[in-house]
Amino acid sequence: MPTPLKCSLCAATATVHLTQIVQGKVSKVDFCEACASQGGAGDAAVFKLADAVNAVVTVATLTCPECGFSDVELRRRGRLGCPSCWQIFGDALGGLLGKIQHEAQHVGRAPVGTVPVGQLRHRLQVATLEMQAAITAEDYEQAAKLRDEMARLTTQLANL
Amino acid sequence: MSVQEILADENELTHLLGAQQAVVLSTRVRLARNLAGFPFPGWAKPAHRKEIAERCLEALTKLPRFRKAHVFKMGDLPDLDRAVLVERHLVSKELAAGKSGAAVISRDQTCSVMVNEEDHLRVQIVKSGWHLRGSWNLAEQLDDALGASLSLAFSDQLGFLTACPTNVGTGLRASAMVHLPGLCLAGHMDKVSRALSQDGLAVRGWLGEGTEAAGNVFQISNQQTLGLSEEAIMRHLSGWVKTLVDQEWHARRKLAAEEGERFVDRLARSLGLLRHARMLTSSESMNMLSHLRLACDMGCLPEERRHVIDRLMIEGQPAHVQAKQGAELDSDGRDHRRATTIREALRDFPEVGAPTA
Repeated sequence: MPTPLKCSLCAATATVHLTQIVQGKVSKVDFCEACASQGGAGDAAVFKLADAVNAVVTVATLTCPECGFSDVELRRRGRLGCPSCWQIFGDALGGLLGKIQHEAQHVGRAPVGTVPVGQLRHRLQVATLEMQAAITAEDYEQAAKLRDEMARLTTQLANL
Repeated sequence: MSVQEILADENELTHLLGAQQAVVLSTRVRLARNLAGFPFPGWAKPAHRKEIAERCLEALTKLPRFRKAHVFKMGDLPDLDRAVLVERHLVSKELAAGKSGAAVISRDQTCSVMVNEEDHLRVQIVKSGWHLRGSWNLAEQLDDALGASLSLAFSDQLGFLTACPTNVGTGLRASAMVHLPGLCLAGHMDKVSRALSQDGLAVRGWLGEGTEAAGNVFQISNQQTLGLSEEAIMRHLSGWVKTLVDQEWHARRKLAAEEGERFVDRLARSLGLLRHARMLTSSESMNMLSHLRLACDMGCLPEERRHVIDRLMIEGQPAHVQAKQGAELDSDGRDHRRATTIREALRDFPEVGAPTA
Protein backbone atom coordinates (compact mmCIF):
# COMPACT_ATOMS: atom_id res chain seq x y z
CA MET A 1 0.00 0.00 0.00
CA PRO A 2 1.43 3.41 -0.88
CA THR A 3 2.28 5.76 1.98
CA PRO A 4 -0.50 8.33 2.43
CA LEU A 5 0.45 11.80 1.19
CA LYS A 6 1.31 14.41 3.79
CA CYS A 7 -0.36 17.86 3.99
CA SER A 8 1.84 20.54 2.42
CA LEU A 9 1.23 22.84 5.37
CA CYS A 10 1.14 20.76 8.56
CA ALA A 11 2.35 17.21 7.71
CA ALA A 12 -0.95 15.54 8.74
CA THR A 13 -2.42 12.96 6.35
CA ALA A 14 -3.65 14.73 3.23
CA THR A 15 -7.17 14.09 1.96
CA VAL A 16 -7.53 17.05 -0.46
CA HIS A 17 -5.35 16.80 -3.57
CA LEU A 18 -5.04 19.56 -6.10
CA THR A 19 -3.48 19.52 -9.53
CA GLN A 20 -3.16 22.85 -11.24
CA ILE A 21 -2.00 23.30 -14.81
CA VAL A 22 -0.99 26.87 -15.52
CA GLN A 23 0.45 27.57 -18.97
CA GLY A 24 1.46 23.94 -19.35
CA LYS A 25 3.21 23.83 -15.96
CA VAL A 26 1.78 21.13 -13.72
CA SER A 27 1.86 21.63 -9.96
CA LYS A 28 0.45 19.34 -7.30
CA VAL A 29 -0.40 20.18 -3.71
CA ASP A 30 -1.96 18.14 -0.94
CA PHE A 31 -3.84 19.38 2.12
CA CYS A 32 -5.32 17.75 5.20
CA GLU A 33 -9.00 18.51 5.74
CA ALA A 34 -8.32 21.10 8.44
CA CYS A 35 -5.89 23.15 6.34
CA ALA A 36 -8.10 22.92 3.25
CA SER A 37 -11.13 24.14 5.17
CA GLN A 38 -9.10 27.01 6.60
CA GLY A 39 -8.65 28.14 3.04
CA GLY A 40 -12.46 28.26 2.84
CA ALA A 41 -15.03 25.79 1.61
CA GLY A 42 -15.09 26.99 -1.98
CA ASP A 43 -12.70 25.69 -4.61
CA ALA A 44 -11.43 29.17 -5.44
CA ALA A 45 -10.22 29.62 -1.87
CA VAL A 46 -8.44 26.26 -1.86
CA PHE A 47 -6.72 27.20 -5.10
CA LYS A 48 -5.60 30.45 -3.50
CA LEU A 49 -4.08 28.39 -0.71
CA ALA A 50 -2.41 26.19 -3.31
CA ASP A 51 -1.02 29.29 -5.00
CA ALA A 52 0.41 30.45 -1.71
CA VAL A 53 2.09 27.09 -1.10
CA ASN A 54 3.45 27.00 -4.63
CA ALA A 55 4.75 30.52 -4.26
CA VAL A 56 6.66 29.48 -1.15
CA VAL A 57 8.54 26.78 -3.02
CA THR A 58 9.18 28.92 -6.12
CA VAL A 59 12.62 30.47 -6.38
CA ALA A 60 12.77 34.22 -6.88
CA THR A 61 14.00 35.22 -10.33
CA LEU A 62 13.57 38.97 -9.98
CA THR A 63 14.23 41.13 -6.92
CA CYS A 64 13.88 44.88 -6.41
CA PRO A 65 17.32 46.27 -5.42
CA GLU A 66 15.60 49.14 -3.59
CA CYS A 67 13.45 47.16 -1.15
CA GLY A 68 14.27 43.45 -1.62
CA PHE A 69 10.76 42.59 -2.85
CA SER A 70 10.75 39.56 -5.19
CA ASP A 71 8.48 38.19 -7.91
CA VAL A 72 7.57 35.37 -5.51
CA GLU A 73 6.14 37.95 -3.09
CA LEU A 74 4.40 39.67 -5.98
CA ARG A 75 2.63 36.42 -6.89
CA ARG A 76 1.74 35.75 -3.28
CA ARG A 77 0.43 39.21 -2.39
CA GLY A 78 -0.67 40.73 -5.67
CA ARG A 79 0.88 43.98 -4.37
CA LEU A 80 4.24 45.66 -4.91
CA GLY A 81 6.93 46.43 -2.33
CA CYS A 82 7.87 50.03 -3.09
CA PRO A 83 7.51 52.67 -5.83
CA SER A 84 10.74 51.44 -7.54
CA CYS A 85 9.22 47.95 -7.88
CA TRP A 86 7.08 49.39 -10.68
CA GLN A 87 10.23 49.73 -12.80
CA ILE A 88 11.53 46.28 -11.90
CA PHE A 89 8.28 44.37 -12.35
CA GLY A 90 6.85 46.63 -15.04
CA ASP A 91 7.23 44.01 -17.78
CA ALA A 92 5.73 41.27 -15.63
CA LEU A 93 2.76 43.55 -14.86
CA GLY A 94 2.29 44.84 -18.40
CA GLY A 95 -0.15 42.09 -19.33
CA LEU A 96 -2.13 42.44 -16.13
CA LEU A 97 -2.43 46.23 -16.49
CA GLY A 98 -3.72 45.74 -20.03
CA LYS A 99 -6.46 43.48 -18.65
CA ILE A 100 -7.57 45.40 -15.59
CA GLN A 101 -6.88 48.99 -16.67
CA HIS A 102 -8.10 51.12 -19.54
CA GLU A 103 -4.68 51.84 -21.06
CA ALA A 104 -1.09 51.58 -19.79
CA GLN A 105 -0.46 55.34 -20.08
CA HIS A 106 -1.44 57.74 -17.32
CA VAL A 107 -3.53 60.64 -18.58
CA GLY A 108 -4.59 62.17 -15.27
CA ARG A 109 -3.14 64.87 -13.07
CA ALA A 110 0.46 65.07 -11.84
CA PRO A 111 1.86 66.22 -8.48
CA VAL A 112 1.91 69.98 -8.14
CA GLY A 113 5.06 71.40 -9.82
CA THR A 114 5.64 68.31 -12.00
CA VAL A 115 5.40 68.58 -15.78
CA PRO A 116 4.00 65.29 -17.07
CA VAL A 117 6.18 65.08 -20.21
CA GLY A 118 5.09 61.57 -21.22
CA GLN A 119 1.49 62.58 -20.88
CA LEU A 120 1.93 65.66 -23.07
CA ARG A 121 3.66 63.56 -25.76
CA HIS A 122 0.88 60.98 -25.53
CA ARG A 123 -1.80 63.66 -25.88
CA LEU A 124 0.04 65.12 -28.87
CA GLN A 125 -0.01 61.71 -30.58
CA VAL A 126 -3.70 61.19 -29.83
CA ALA A 127 -4.58 64.73 -30.96
CA THR A 128 -2.77 64.12 -34.28
CA LEU A 129 -4.91 61.04 -34.91
CA GLU A 130 -8.06 62.83 -33.82
CA MET A 131 -7.30 65.73 -36.18
CA GLN A 132 -6.84 63.35 -39.12
CA ALA A 133 -10.17 61.72 -38.25
CA ALA A 134 -11.85 65.13 -38.01
CA ILE A 135 -10.53 66.14 -41.42
CA THR A 136 -11.75 62.85 -42.93
CA ALA A 137 -15.17 63.49 -41.39
CA GLU A 138 -15.03 67.07 -42.77
CA ASP A 139 -15.47 68.44 -39.24
CA TYR A 140 -13.19 71.41 -39.86
CA GLU A 141 -14.21 73.28 -36.73
CA GLN A 142 -13.06 70.36 -34.54
CA ALA A 143 -9.91 69.93 -36.68
CA ALA A 144 -9.00 73.59 -36.11
CA LYS A 145 -9.45 73.19 -32.35
CA LEU A 146 -7.18 70.14 -32.36
CA ARG A 147 -4.60 71.96 -34.52
CA ASP A 148 -4.47 74.75 -31.89
CA GLU A 149 -4.15 72.22 -29.08
CA MET A 150 -1.29 70.48 -30.93
CA ALA A 151 0.51 73.79 -31.45
CA ARG A 152 0.16 74.52 -27.73
CA LEU A 153 1.49 71.08 -26.77
CA THR A 154 4.43 71.34 -29.20
CA THR A 155 5.47 74.72 -27.76
CA GLN A 156 5.07 73.42 -24.21
CA LEU A 157 7.29 70.40 -24.97
CA ALA A 158 9.89 72.50 -26.82
CA ASN A 159 10.22 74.88 -23.86
CA LEU A 160 11.04 72.16 -21.33
CA MET B 1 -9.68 63.91 21.29
CA SER B 2 -11.99 60.91 21.30
CA VAL B 3 -14.28 58.87 19.11
CA GLN B 4 -17.13 60.00 21.39
CA GLU B 5 -16.68 63.51 19.93
CA ILE B 6 -17.00 62.08 16.44
CA LEU B 7 -20.31 60.57 17.52
CA ALA B 8 -21.55 63.73 19.23
CA ASP B 9 -20.47 66.33 16.67
CA GLU B 10 -22.99 67.42 14.09
CA ASN B 11 -22.01 66.43 10.57
CA GLU B 12 -23.48 66.10 7.11
CA LEU B 13 -24.29 62.44 7.20
CA THR B 14 -26.15 62.14 10.48
CA HIS B 15 -27.62 65.61 10.81
CA LEU B 16 -29.63 67.68 8.40
CA LEU B 17 -26.70 69.85 7.32
CA GLY B 18 -26.00 68.82 3.72
CA ALA B 19 -28.52 68.54 0.96
CA GLN B 20 -30.49 65.36 1.62
CA GLN B 21 -31.46 63.46 -1.48
CA ALA B 22 -33.69 60.61 -2.45
CA VAL B 23 -31.74 57.67 -3.95
CA VAL B 24 -28.15 58.96 -3.53
CA LEU B 25 -27.15 58.86 0.14
CA SER B 26 -23.61 60.11 -0.22
CA THR B 27 -20.73 60.83 -2.59
CA ARG B 28 -17.19 59.70 -1.92
CA VAL B 29 -13.90 60.52 -3.62
CA ARG B 30 -10.70 58.70 -2.64
CA LEU B 31 -7.12 59.31 -3.76
CA ALA B 32 -4.26 56.85 -3.15
CA ARG B 33 -0.85 58.50 -2.75
CA ASN B 34 2.61 57.32 -1.65
CA LEU B 35 5.84 58.95 -0.58
CA ALA B 36 8.73 58.54 -3.01
CA GLY B 37 11.63 56.45 -1.67
CA PHE B 38 9.73 54.49 0.98
CA PRO B 39 8.43 50.90 0.81
CA PHE B 40 4.64 50.55 0.71
CA PRO B 41 3.13 49.92 4.19
CA GLY B 42 2.48 46.20 3.54
CA TRP B 43 6.19 45.58 2.86
CA ALA B 44 7.76 48.26 5.08
CA LYS B 45 9.56 47.38 8.31
CA PRO B 46 8.06 48.84 11.51
CA ALA B 47 10.76 51.54 11.67
CA HIS B 48 9.92 52.65 8.14
CA ARG B 49 6.22 52.66 8.86
CA LYS B 50 6.87 54.83 11.90
CA GLU B 51 8.85 57.32 9.85
CA ILE B 52 6.20 57.37 7.11
CA ALA B 53 3.48 58.02 9.70
CA GLU B 54 5.48 60.84 11.28
CA ARG B 55 6.12 62.57 7.94
CA CYS B 56 2.55 62.23 6.76
CA LEU B 57 0.99 63.32 10.04
CA GLU B 58 3.29 66.31 10.23
CA ALA B 59 2.32 67.43 6.72
CA LEU B 60 -1.38 66.77 7.27
CA THR B 61 -1.80 68.52 10.60
CA LYS B 62 -0.26 71.69 9.16
CA LEU B 63 -2.97 72.01 6.52
CA PRO B 64 -5.71 74.59 7.22
CA ARG B 65 -8.34 71.99 6.29
CA PHE B 66 -7.17 69.87 9.24
CA ARG B 67 -7.08 72.62 11.83
CA LYS B 68 -8.20 71.10 15.13
CA ALA B 69 -8.65 67.78 13.30
CA HIS B 70 -9.09 64.47 15.07
CA VAL B 71 -5.89 62.43 14.92
CA PHE B 72 -6.28 58.77 15.77
CA LYS B 73 -3.46 56.25 16.00
CA MET B 74 -5.03 52.82 15.58
CA GLY B 75 -2.67 51.24 18.12
CA ASP B 76 -3.96 53.60 20.83
CA LEU B 77 -7.65 53.02 20.24
CA PRO B 78 -9.85 50.41 21.92
CA ASP B 79 -11.52 47.85 19.60
CA LEU B 80 -14.93 49.44 19.90
CA ASP B 81 -13.71 52.92 18.90
CA ARG B 82 -12.00 51.52 15.83
CA ALA B 83 -15.18 49.67 14.89
CA VAL B 84 -17.17 52.93 15.17
CA LEU B 85 -14.77 54.64 12.75
CA VAL B 86 -15.15 51.74 10.30
CA GLU B 87 -18.95 51.85 10.49
CA ARG B 88 -18.85 55.57 9.74
CA HIS B 89 -16.61 54.88 6.72
CA LEU B 90 -13.96 57.17 8.18
CA VAL B 91 -11.37 54.39 8.17
CA SER B 92 -11.27 51.01 6.40
CA LYS B 93 -11.49 47.61 8.04
CA GLU B 94 -7.89 47.00 6.93
CA LEU B 95 -6.59 50.13 8.65
CA ALA B 96 -8.52 49.31 11.83
CA ALA B 97 -7.12 45.77 11.87
CA GLY B 98 -3.48 46.89 12.02
CA LYS B 99 -1.67 48.70 14.81
CA SER B 100 0.56 51.00 12.79
CA GLY B 101 -2.10 52.94 10.89
CA ALA B 102 -3.41 56.38 11.72
CA ALA B 103 -6.26 58.59 10.58
CA VAL B 104 -6.68 62.35 10.43
CA ILE B 105 -10.31 63.43 10.30
CA SER B 106 -11.42 67.01 9.72
CA ARG B 107 -13.71 68.59 12.32
CA ASP B 108 -16.74 68.42 10.03
CA GLN B 109 -15.88 64.76 9.15
CA THR B 110 -15.97 65.58 5.42
CA CYS B 111 -12.25 64.98 4.82
CA SER B 112 -10.29 62.10 6.25
CA VAL B 113 -6.86 60.75 5.46
CA MET B 114 -5.72 57.25 6.32
CA VAL B 115 -1.99 56.86 6.87
CA ASN B 116 -0.25 53.49 6.39
CA GLU B 117 -3.23 51.64 5.01
CA GLU B 118 -2.40 49.73 1.80
CA ASP B 119 -0.81 52.98 0.57
CA HIS B 120 0.97 55.63 2.61
CA LEU B 121 -1.88 58.08 2.14
CA ARG B 122 -5.53 57.55 1.34
CA VAL B 123 -7.30 60.88 1.06
CA GLN B 124 -11.07 60.66 1.31
CA ILE B 125 -13.85 63.20 0.87
CA VAL B 126 -17.44 62.28 1.79
CA LYS B 127 -20.44 64.48 1.15
CA SER B 128 -24.10 63.88 1.79
CA GLY B 129 -26.21 63.49 -1.38
CA TRP B 130 -24.77 63.56 -4.90
CA HIS B 131 -21.98 66.15 -5.04
CA LEU B 132 -19.18 64.72 -7.13
CA ARG B 133 -17.89 68.04 -8.43
CA GLY B 134 -17.66 69.63 -4.97
CA SER B 135 -16.07 66.51 -3.48
CA TRP B 136 -13.52 66.37 -6.29
CA ASN B 137 -12.59 70.05 -5.86
CA LEU B 138 -11.85 69.40 -2.19
CA ALA B 139 -9.79 66.30 -3.01
CA GLU B 140 -7.81 68.21 -5.62
CA GLN B 141 -7.02 71.01 -3.18
CA LEU B 142 -5.86 68.53 -0.55
CA ASP B 143 -3.80 66.63 -3.11
CA ASP B 144 -2.03 69.82 -4.23
CA ALA B 145 -1.41 70.87 -0.65
CA LEU B 146 0.08 67.46 0.16
CA GLY B 147 2.15 67.42 -3.03
CA ALA B 148 3.63 70.78 -2.06
CA SER B 149 4.99 69.49 1.23
CA LEU B 150 5.68 65.80 0.48
CA SER B 151 7.56 64.20 -2.39
CA LEU B 152 4.99 61.84 -3.94
CA ALA B 153 5.80 58.68 -5.92
CA PHE B 154 4.85 59.47 -9.52
CA SER B 155 5.86 58.15 -12.92
CA ASP B 156 5.24 59.85 -16.21
CA GLN B 157 3.88 56.67 -17.73
CA LEU B 158 2.07 55.08 -14.79
CA GLY B 159 0.95 58.15 -12.87
CA PHE B 160 0.73 57.95 -9.09
CA LEU B 161 2.42 54.72 -8.01
CA THR B 162 0.44 52.56 -5.60
CA ALA B 163 0.93 49.24 -3.84
CA CYS B 164 -1.81 47.56 -5.86
CA PRO B 165 -2.05 47.57 -9.68
CA THR B 166 -5.78 48.26 -9.38
CA ASN B 167 -5.13 51.78 -8.02
CA VAL B 168 -2.16 52.97 -10.06
CA GLY B 169 -2.49 56.05 -12.29
CA THR B 170 -4.97 58.52 -10.92
CA GLY B 171 -5.34 56.60 -7.64
CA LEU B 172 -8.92 57.80 -7.83
CA ARG B 173 -11.90 55.86 -6.62
CA ALA B 174 -15.10 57.88 -7.01
CA SER B 175 -18.27 56.39 -5.63
CA ALA B 176 -21.93 56.92 -4.93
CA MET B 177 -23.83 55.28 -2.07
CA VAL B 178 -27.24 54.61 -3.55
CA HIS B 179 -30.49 53.41 -2.01
CA LEU B 180 -32.33 51.23 -4.52
CA PRO B 181 -35.40 49.66 -2.85
CA GLY B 182 -37.48 50.03 -6.02
CA LEU B 183 -35.07 48.10 -8.22
CA CYS B 184 -34.57 45.49 -5.47
CA LEU B 185 -38.31 44.97 -4.87
CA ALA B 186 -38.90 44.72 -8.61
CA GLY B 187 -36.18 42.02 -8.79
CA HIS B 188 -34.00 43.99 -11.22
CA MET B 189 -30.90 44.36 -9.08
CA ASP B 190 -29.00 41.36 -10.50
CA LYS B 191 -29.47 42.69 -14.01
CA VAL B 192 -28.40 46.19 -12.97
CA SER B 193 -25.30 44.86 -11.18
CA ARG B 194 -24.28 42.89 -14.25
CA ALA B 195 -24.72 45.89 -16.55
CA LEU B 196 -22.66 48.09 -14.24
CA SER B 197 -19.81 45.64 -13.86
CA GLN B 198 -19.69 45.03 -17.61
CA ASP B 199 -19.23 48.76 -18.05
CA GLY B 200 -16.31 49.04 -15.63
CA LEU B 201 -18.12 49.91 -12.41
CA ALA B 202 -17.99 47.91 -9.19
CA VAL B 203 -21.15 47.31 -7.13
CA ARG B 204 -20.65 46.63 -3.45
CA GLY B 205 -22.70 46.48 -0.26
CA TRP B 206 -23.05 49.10 2.44
CA LEU B 207 -19.66 48.58 4.06
CA GLY B 208 -17.63 48.16 0.88
CA GLU B 209 -15.79 45.14 -0.44
CA GLY B 210 -17.28 41.76 0.44
CA THR B 211 -20.27 43.09 2.36
CA GLU B 212 -23.94 42.41 1.82
CA ALA B 213 -26.27 45.06 0.56
CA ALA B 214 -28.22 45.50 3.79
CA GLY B 215 -31.10 47.95 3.51
CA ASN B 216 -30.97 48.01 -0.31
CA VAL B 217 -27.94 50.29 -0.11
CA PHE B 218 -25.20 49.83 -2.69
CA GLN B 219 -21.87 51.46 -3.35
CA ILE B 220 -21.10 52.09 -7.03
CA SER B 221 -17.52 52.98 -7.95
CA ASN B 222 -15.08 53.07 -10.88
CA GLN B 223 -12.82 50.05 -11.32
CA GLN B 224 -10.19 51.48 -13.66
CA THR B 225 -7.71 54.11 -12.53
CA LEU B 226 -5.09 54.13 -15.30
CA GLY B 227 -5.45 55.40 -18.87
CA LEU B 228 -8.46 57.54 -18.04
CA SER B 229 -8.38 61.13 -16.80
CA GLU B 230 -10.07 62.00 -13.50
CA GLU B 231 -12.57 63.95 -15.57
CA ALA B 232 -13.41 60.90 -17.72
CA ILE B 233 -13.73 58.62 -14.66
CA MET B 234 -16.16 61.01 -13.01
CA ARG B 235 -18.16 61.62 -16.18
CA HIS B 236 -18.60 57.87 -16.59
CA LEU B 237 -19.76 57.41 -12.99
CA SER B 238 -22.05 60.46 -13.16
CA GLY B 239 -23.72 59.15 -16.29
CA TRP B 240 -24.52 55.85 -14.62
CA VAL B 241 -25.68 57.45 -11.37
CA LYS B 242 -28.11 59.59 -13.35
CA THR B 243 -29.40 56.49 -15.18
CA LEU B 244 -29.74 54.58 -11.91
CA VAL B 245 -31.66 57.41 -10.25
CA ASP B 246 -34.06 57.55 -13.23
CA GLN B 247 -34.53 53.78 -13.29
CA GLU B 248 -35.02 53.63 -9.53
CA TRP B 249 -37.76 56.29 -9.70
CA HIS B 250 -39.37 54.47 -12.60
CA ALA B 251 -39.38 51.20 -10.62
CA ARG B 252 -40.79 52.92 -7.52
CA ARG B 253 -43.63 54.62 -9.37
CA LYS B 254 -44.47 51.44 -11.25
CA LEU B 255 -44.56 49.42 -7.99
CA ALA B 256 -46.69 52.03 -6.25
CA ALA B 257 -49.14 52.14 -9.17
CA GLU B 258 -49.34 48.36 -9.61
CA GLU B 259 -49.48 47.38 -5.95
CA GLY B 260 -51.70 50.21 -4.72
CA GLU B 261 -52.65 49.66 -1.09
CA ARG B 262 -50.24 46.72 -0.79
CA PHE B 263 -47.32 49.10 -1.48
CA VAL B 264 -48.41 51.43 1.33
CA ASP B 265 -49.12 48.45 3.58
CA ARG B 266 -45.54 47.20 3.25
CA LEU B 267 -44.14 50.58 4.32
CA ALA B 268 -46.71 51.01 7.10
CA ARG B 269 -45.90 47.56 8.50
CA SER B 270 -42.22 48.45 8.69
CA LEU B 271 -43.02 51.60 10.64
CA GLY B 272 -45.32 49.62 12.94
CA LEU B 273 -42.67 46.98 13.55
CA LEU B 274 -39.88 49.46 14.21
CA ARG B 275 -42.12 51.47 16.53
CA HIS B 276 -43.03 48.50 18.70
CA ALA B 277 -40.26 45.89 18.50
CA ARG B 278 -38.23 45.25 21.67
CA MET B 279 -35.42 43.43 19.87
CA LEU B 280 -34.03 44.34 16.44
CA THR B 281 -31.08 42.81 14.61
CA SER B 282 -28.88 45.05 12.52
CA SER B 283 -30.01 43.64 9.16
CA GLU B 284 -33.70 43.60 10.12
CA SER B 285 -33.60 47.24 11.17
CA MET B 286 -31.67 48.21 8.03
CA ASN B 287 -34.28 46.60 5.81
CA MET B 288 -37.20 48.20 7.69
CA LEU B 289 -35.48 51.62 7.73
CA SER B 290 -34.99 51.24 3.98
CA HIS B 291 -38.79 51.04 3.68
CA LEU B 292 -39.19 54.20 5.76
CA ARG B 293 -36.69 56.05 3.60
CA LEU B 294 -38.64 54.95 0.57
CA ALA B 295 -41.82 56.21 2.29
CA CYS B 296 -40.24 59.65 2.81
CA ASP B 297 -39.05 59.82 -0.82
CA MET B 298 -42.50 58.86 -2.10
CA GLY B 299 -44.38 61.35 0.07
CA CYS B 300 -45.94 58.62 2.24
CA LEU B 301 -44.09 60.18 5.19
CA PRO B 302 -42.99 63.84 5.45
CA GLU B 303 -39.71 64.38 3.57
CA GLU B 304 -38.18 66.32 6.45
CA ARG B 305 -38.11 63.10 8.50
CA ARG B 306 -35.63 61.48 6.11
CA HIS B 307 -32.53 62.62 7.99
CA VAL B 308 -33.76 60.80 11.13
CA ILE B 309 -33.82 57.58 9.14
CA ASP B 310 -30.36 58.20 7.67
CA ARG B 311 -29.04 58.79 11.18
CA LEU B 312 -30.66 55.59 12.49
CA MET B 313 -29.14 53.57 9.60
CA ILE B 314 -25.69 54.71 10.73
CA GLU B 315 -26.32 54.59 14.47
CA GLY B 316 -28.03 51.18 14.30
CA GLN B 317 -24.75 49.48 13.42
CA PRO B 318 -23.32 47.21 16.15
CA ALA B 319 -20.36 49.34 17.29
CA HIS B 320 -22.45 52.53 17.28
CA VAL B 321 -25.10 50.87 19.45
CA GLN B 322 -22.45 49.84 21.98
CA ALA B 323 -20.69 53.21 21.89
CA LYS B 324 -23.97 54.91 22.67
CA GLN B 325 -24.52 52.55 25.59
CA GLY B 326 -20.95 53.22 26.69
CA ALA B 327 -20.28 49.54 27.17
CA GLU B 328 -19.74 46.33 25.24
CA LEU B 329 -22.98 44.42 24.77
CA ASP B 330 -23.72 40.85 23.71
CA SER B 331 -25.89 40.21 20.68
CA ASP B 332 -29.18 40.27 22.64
CA GLY B 333 -28.11 43.39 24.49
CA ARG B 334 -27.32 45.13 21.20
CA ASP B 335 -30.63 44.10 19.63
CA HIS B 336 -32.50 45.41 22.66
CA ARG B 337 -30.59 48.70 22.79
CA ARG B 338 -31.02 49.20 19.01
CA ALA B 339 -34.78 48.62 19.26
CA THR B 340 -35.02 51.14 22.13
CA THR B 341 -33.14 53.86 20.22
CA ILE B 342 -35.22 53.35 17.09
CA ARG B 343 -38.49 53.18 19.03
CA GLU B 344 -37.73 56.48 20.73
CA ALA B 345 -36.66 58.21 17.52
CA LEU B 346 -39.82 57.12 15.69
CA ARG B 347 -42.27 57.80 18.53
CA ASP B 348 -43.67 61.01 17.04
CA PHE B 349 -43.60 59.86 13.41
CA PRO B 350 -46.95 60.35 11.66
CA GLU B 351 -48.84 57.47 10.02
CA VAL B 352 -47.78 56.26 6.57
CA GLY B 353 -50.11 57.73 3.93
CA ALA B 354 -50.69 57.27 0.20
CA PRO B 355 -47.79 58.20 -2.12
CA THR B 356 -47.72 61.70 -3.60
CA ALA B 357 -44.37 61.65 -5.45
